[in-house]
Amino acid sequence: MSLKAESVSPDWFKHKRADKNLIVNPVIPWLMIGFPVLILIAIVIYPTIWMGYHAFQNTNMMKLFYQDWEYIGWQNFATVLSDDRMWDSVGRLIQYLVFGACLEVLLGTILALTLFELVKSQLTRVVVLILLVLPMMLPPSIVATLWKFLLQAYNGAVNHLLIKIGILGPMERIEWLDASLSLWSLTMVDVWQWTALPLLIVYSGRVSLPPAIYEAAKVDGASQFMVLRRLTLPLLKEIIAIAFIIRFMDAYKFVDKVYVMTSGGPAQSSELPVFIAFQKGIREVEIGEAAAYAWIIFAVAMVLITLFLKYLKKVLKAQAFA
Amino acid sequence: MDSATNRLIRYLFLSFLAIWLVFTIFPLYFQFITSLKPVAEINSMVPTFWPETMRPENYAGIFADPGSLKSLIDSLIVSIANTILSLFLGTLAGYALARFIRGFAGENIAMWILSNRMFPPVAVIIPMFFLFDATPWGTDSYFSLITLYLVFNLPLATWLMMVFFRDAPRELEEAAYLDGFTPLQTFFKVTLPLVFPGMVSVAMLCWIFAWNEYLFANLLTGTTVKTFPVHIPSFTSGSQTLWNLVMAFSMVAMLPPVLLFIFLRRYMVRGLSLGVVKG
Repeated sequence: MSLKAESVSPDWFKHKRADKNLIVNPVIPWLMIGFPVLILIAIVIYPTIWMGYHAFQNTNMMKLFYQDWEYIGWQNFATVLSDDRMWDSVGRLIQYLVFGACLEVLLGTILALTLFELVKSQLTRVVVLILLVLPMMLPPSIVATLWKFLLQAYNGAVNHLLIKIGILGPMERIEWLDASLSLWSLTMVDVWQWTALPLLIVYSGRVSLPPAIYEAAKVDGASQFMVLRRLTLPLLKEIIAIAFIIRFMDAYKFVDKVYVMTSGGPAQSSELPVFIAFQKGIREVEIGEAAAYAWIIFAVAMVLITLFLKYLKKVLKAQAFA
Repeated sequence: MDSATNRLIRYLFLSFLAIWLVFTIFPLYFQFITSLKPVAEINSMVPTFWPETMRPENYAGIFADPGSLKSLIDSLIVSIANTILSLFLGTLAGYALARFIRGFAGENIAMWILSNRMFPPVAVIIPMFFLFDATPWGTDSYFSLITLYLVFNLPLATWLMMVFFRDAPRELEEAAYLDGFTPLQTFFKVTLPLVFPGMVSVAMLCWIFAWNEYLFANLLTGTTVKTFPVHIPSFTSGSQTLWNLVMAFSMVAMLPPVLLFIFLRRYMVRGLSLGVVKG
């Protein structure tokens, strides 16, 4: 049986309100929340509806200028869904999500637990943690510029480092940003920057686990491996899942490094759906098509967000009554 | 498991940690030394892993272009204004959601607000471009950036403040009421001090996200207002990128979020995990 806070302590506020000794006028909370809600309606809902409208019009730059777009039904969606460029990008997105988001969470968890369990000195731990988490705080534009510089084929630092260690011959070069590798390079840069997030979350989650249960496990003579599998991982399960979801949702709308590092190229080899939608809307000003793109992306995102929020709510509730 | 394999596994994991540490640090190290090299050395066929000629003047050189300082100031104006706005509105709404609007409506409003945080910006930017174009300030203005950054910062601030207010014990507020405090006094003298660490965390996160933002700034602004990420590509001479200046400027621009993180990381963990991890 779950115990609810409300059922334990009577709602003091409601009681006072009934007393006519009003704590607050009941309108005030709605005013407090009204401003943010109105702002979000203006900057998120209004644009979404605008896009929804234009997804069914043949709007482009000229037509927008002269305001003479017309209704063309589902044609924009048909164009988008029959476009190979889009389906290719969906494949890339899946590759990027699997090797980006999943790898980040996996590596982050391994690194966090290694750091906590195997590094004894407190000072070393903190210093290593700070160093490992630094990339996350850097502006994505700087990260992308830096890596573009490091990954240059002929005198880039990465290739020359590989030559120094002997992985590459002195005349060999890896073209990190050519058509076959550009998406992998983007993924690598993303992993470099964002493994820090799951790492920090899992590490902090591990720190906050009560030491008493570990004492008990030690008394029972459990091996370190058993403790990890039976105790630590199950207890951190939800935290790891949340870290994964946060990364997944960010990766889904990932686009800034694509802009700086490759601009989707070469030959469209690193285009992701969100990037194409931006290109259609901003560079080519095919508003109608871009709107259809945006709505498809938006619809998929809404499904994912709804699922995620349900889970988050569950986790927070469980914590509150734990 | 015998102790030999056990030790082997430990060393395996520890060496992986060490390798990852090198992988993380190397690019930053290279950025730092590149910021100290002269252009000729950067453009040589084989890059040097320690500058042959030190040129700390690069750091003065970035400010030879008056745009550099202006871009940092623009970034500061936009990010600080946005942070104040997000924190103020988020605190109000978070308090309302935590204390007064509960139940079905409260849950759903909170969820809806947070869902905006994960919203793909592509659906927002094009209409907002035309909307800002119609305002007297135009798209290329502080107003447009400060407003647009609310798309990701306001939901975060509201959600986190709600979580922090829920954690603050209600009994203390009740006690304050019974002692004759007015609602406003209670809020400012009892509740706010309780959630102050939370507010620090929200402010830091919002500020860092606004400071780092590139996409909206790149698409909407660039002439009147130019934040630093948009300014970075302008360090060129002819068709050649002046990497030493780019790197020196990057070092300067990334310093504030890095320092904030180092000193206030305790506060940030909770916010970064959307309130799940009590760091």
